[in-house]
Amino acid sequence: MKRQLLALQAELMKNRYSRIVWVTFIAFALAPIMGGIFILIIRDPEALAKAGGLAAKVRAMGFTPSWNSYLGVLTQAVGVGGVLVFGFVSSWIFGREYSDGTAKDLLSLPISRTRILNAKFAVYTIWCVCLVISNLLIGLFIGTILQLDLLERIWWGLEQYFITTVLTILAGLPIAFFATWGKGYLAPLGFVSLTVVIAQIITAIGYGPLFPWAIPALYSGAGGEYKASLSTLSYLILIAVSVTGYVITISYWKFADQTK
Amino acid sequence: MQIIKTNSLTKFFGTTAATDNISIQVELGEIYGFLGLNGAGKTTLIRMLLGMIKPNNGTVMLFDKELTSKFNQWNDIGYMVETPSAYPNLSVRENLMVYYKLRQLNNPLEIDFIIEKLKLSKYKDTKAKVLSMGNQQRLGLAKALMHRPKLLILDEPINGLDPEGIVEVRNLLKELSKNGSTIFLSSHILGEVAKVANRIGIVHEGKLIKELTSNELNDQLIKKVLVQTSDNARAIELLKSISHKVALSEDDDIEILDGKAIKQPENISKFLVEQGLPPRQVRLFTEDLEMFFLRTIRTKA
Repeated sequence: MKRQLLALQAELMKNRYSRIVWVTFIAFALAPIMGGIFILIIRDPEALAKAGGLAAKVRAMGFTPSWNSYLGVLTQAVGVGGVLVFGFVSSWIFGREYSDGTAKDLLSLPISRTRILNAKFAVYTIWCVCLVISNLLIGLFIGTILQLDLLERIWWGLEQYFITTVLTILAGLPIAFFATWGKGYLAPLGFVSLTVVIAQIITAIGYGPLFPWAIPALYSGAGGEYKASLSTLSYLILIAVSVTGYVITISYWKFADQTK
Repeated sequence: MQIIKTNSLTKFFGTTAATDNISIQVELGEIYGFLGLNGAGKTTLIRMLLGMIKPNNGTVMLFDKELTSKFNQWNDIGYMVETPSAYPNLSVRENLMVYYKLRQLNNPLEIDFIIEKLKLSKYKDTKAKVLSMGNQQRLGLAKALMHRPKLLILDEPINGLDPEGIVEVRNLLKELSKNGSTIFLSSHILGEVAKVANRIGIVHEGKLIKELTSNELNDQLIKKVLVQTSDNARAIELLKSISHKVALSEDDDIEILDGKAIKQPENISKFLVEQGLPPRQVRLFTEDLEMFFLRTIRTKA
């Protein structure tokens, strides 16, 4: 355990001054800010009339100036935007070692390669959890300023928020493999982009509940009525893909020739 | 004691043999220089020694233990493979701290010691991304040396260093060897390898084509006496008459290859003066390592 903690400390240290940390927090914070703008538009009939496409979107979402609606937007941001942002985080954590040329310095050490990767997976999880908590706090701040209506079923809303977080984190685990296999950022970022596009198409033709990278968005409510089509099989598929992603990342790092 | 022993180490990338049946032994305290052109298989061999690449055939023994996934003496080994790399947003000290933790060391003073030793004190709080190439090389060496390893495996350790840095690293390697460390290094700066290595291996197209000690190397370097006179044709005749092996070079120098002349070139000068043909120039030529290396790989090819 001590060795694992040392690997974790080393991994956290590597990210200490990375600008990318702040870039992900700023990018993810766009969701609560956008939610705040939605509320302002809804409350002001004149602005609503001028907002055009945005107003149509707000109406389509059945958005109301309430805590429930606002938390719903934040949850959908995790389910949809999270796949992209968490994927970006995973690509960075695992791909940077190749882009910085430091991967070779991690391979012949008294600490096992598995522990080094476990530390990376731990940092990925911590980073994603910090992102969703940050958004929740920003949302709390904006919602308080906007004096939203009383929140009903607060625990249910938070439960949805954090379950969506867990599903999205799970969906990001296999991306690590593409970083180690592709030896850099490009392959994982390409894969993330591809999953986002394919998720849209697959969901539109009704197979979203079987596609791991569509499941968090569907659970968050971003797909509207499609949420009801999620079944135990959907969650099992997501878990199986995540576990497989974790195992093949570790196996590849341990057993494949490392030439970069 | 053999610190490194490889037995018929072979690695294919596709159908190309990056290393082909390479068997080497490096003894305790030895500095082994590994020479080869780019793509000769030096880095592949180094990566196999470090367990980064698995051979298709053959074994690696380090400290008399076979290198398998169970090998656990990595804190006895320090290494630098290809271009030294560092986390760009971390300072020199922080970069070393990352490896201090990963190597589970327990004396933070080791970091300051190695920073001092490699003359990085002035840059210890400087981010790695703004370091000069030479200082990045020093940082790479600091990472390799921080835990005082018994075996150092260095790929091109003096790349990017200025002349002062090269001398410092040369002295450092000699000092480490004197204190019992074993060093395996590859370099394309052949003259530099000759200055530090006790033994040299020459690899070409994946094969170890020659292995020799520094004394053997000295014996195998071509030596000859070069002479210039106002009448080289006559001088050649005169020298042949006293049983010297003589030839005229492409540069119109008289080349005398026999040991008698090499040992006492002043006798050549004296003889020619006595014959009324005083030489314009008499000099002893010794082949340098670059020439020896190229001659060796051309001969084998």
